[in-house]
Amino acid sequence: MNGRAKSLFDSLQAAWLLLVLALLYIPMISVALASLSNTRYMLFPHRTWTTDAYADALASYTTGTLHLTSFRIAVLVMVLSVVLASFGALAFARFDWRGRRAFQRFLLLPLFFPQPVLGLALLVYFTALGITPSWQTAAFAHLVWIVPVVTLVISIRLYNYDVMQEDAAFDLGATRLQVLREVTLPALAPGIVSGALFAFLLSWSNLPLSVFTSGADTTLPEWLYSRTATNYSPMVPAIAVIATAVSALVVGAAAVGLSLARGRGGAKTAA
Amino acid sequence: MRRPNPGILTMLPVLVFLLAGFVIPILVVALYSLMPPRTFDLAGSPTFTNYATAFAEGYWRPLMWSALGAAATTLICLVLAWPTARVLAHLAGRWATLVTLLIALPIFISESVRLFGLALFMMPGGGILAGSIDALFGVSIGTILYTRLAALLGLVYIHFPFVLFPLLLGVSLIPKDQVEAARDLGASGWQVFREIEAPLAAPGAAVGALLCFVLSLGANAEMNILGGQAVTVITNAIEQRFNYAQDWPLGAALTVLTVLLTAAVVFPVLKRIDVDRLARR
Repeated sequence: MNGRAKSLFDSLQAAWLLLVLALLYIPMISVALASLSNTRYMLFPHRTWTTDAYADALASYTTGTLHLTSFRIAVLVMVLSVVLASFGALAFARFDWRGRRAFQRFLLLPLFFPQPVLGLALLVYFTALGITPSWQTAAFAHLVWIVPVVTLVISIRLYNYDVMQEDAAFDLGATRLQVLREVTLPALAPGIVSGALFAFLLSWSNLPLSVFTSGADTTLPEWLYSRTATNYSPMVPAIAVIATAVSALVVGAAAVGLSLARGRGGAKTAA
Repeated sequence: MRRPNPGILTMLPVLVFLLAGFVIPILVVALYSLMPPRTFDLAGSPTFTNYATAFAEGYWRPLMWSALGAAATTLICLVLAWPTARVLAHLAGRWATLVTLLIALPIFISESVRLFGLALFMMPGGGILAGSIDALFGVSIGTILYTRLAALLGLVYIHFPFVLFPLLLGVSLIPKDQVEAARDLGASGWQVFREIEAPLAAPGAAVGALLCFVLSLGANAEMNILGGQAVTVITNAIEQRFNYAQDWPLGAALTVLTVLLTAAVVFPVLKRIDVDRLARR
């Protein structure tokens, strides 16, 4: 390829990526634009551009309840999935045992399964057991597909983990518990943090499982889903923007916390 | 004394949980599908009536629509993801990381927000697109909102990253020097694709396509928000049986048929994939 053809090819590639990104972000931009109006009917471009909808949303009792429900579920899912998945990842990637390949495939099955169908199946299951669906059952449903995701995330880290370190610790006379606390867990930590973040965000944004399994409780995505069809007002896109900002904030806080922890760890090694 | 294998010990919590939260619920639904119509307990004598009803009353139709939509979505996503993965693999470095991150981010934004945004964008009259064009050029345009096409667009939009990322793993496994060597020996672009790139990227493409097909098979939000329920998809059909019609056994039978269709596509592909090799990347 000569120089001119190559640079044309490069700009075509860049243009393609920009197009893909633009298309991916059009819906989010549309929601943000729609939230800046004060009319009950969508009439773009707005006559008056205002942030009134945000003031209404922040003052509304609903906003708080919705966030609280989603937050409770996401935190419960995060904690339980990290505990279950840490063990699961050891079996998935660290230990060599006879049923490992079968276990790896079994673990993937909930990921390769249509979520709304899983939600409906769980609804029937809970009802058959005499359990009234609520935010707790929604958290259980989230766990069914988030535990495999988090297990994969932690496993990917574990593949790079050098088992010899453990053997060395054993040779130096460490007990099984000491090895777990001093060698294995610190090596797992970055995977656990990203796994926890995945769990929180995937639960926070989940619609298909919550819709069928949360009973009388309503999560943010569910509320937005029901309001897209009826009872539209600029408060709906405003709450969508706020909910998305909250999840961005969680990611930001985790990133800051992580770099702080790393900085302190580095200082300790230096000293 | 022989210690129990640590692998078996550590997999137990996840295994028990997935049995209780995944396997047993599906078995319970399968049992319900064998109960007499419109009963709510598992005490009746098993029968295949519900499956007969499902076919006789035309419930193969929603299943067919869902399967067709899922197949079309998978095909379109593959066609769009292939050049994107190639460009990203070719680009490498800082920019590629940034673009990859930007493509991944929307996965963590709720489907309801993104589909709602698409609807706002496509809305006729005062929608973001129609309103802007009207204000700028004085031209009013129509809309595809509330049609099957809009629902398909939503399906492609939501599931594109699920095809792209596994495919990206596959494409990054293609050794560049092999492609160069083939080019030097005079292979055409199509020959390089068919003989070298496609076979090497195949495992990634298979995982992505499978994920996309299965996830879109159950998708109903796209049809409800964008499609204006132009057709009934299988999830909506099942929900109607469970909730409004109060016919659990028929709803359960439809669920089992969907699970069987899912299993029929998932198992053959999953059996051939080396999980260790893909996850280690």
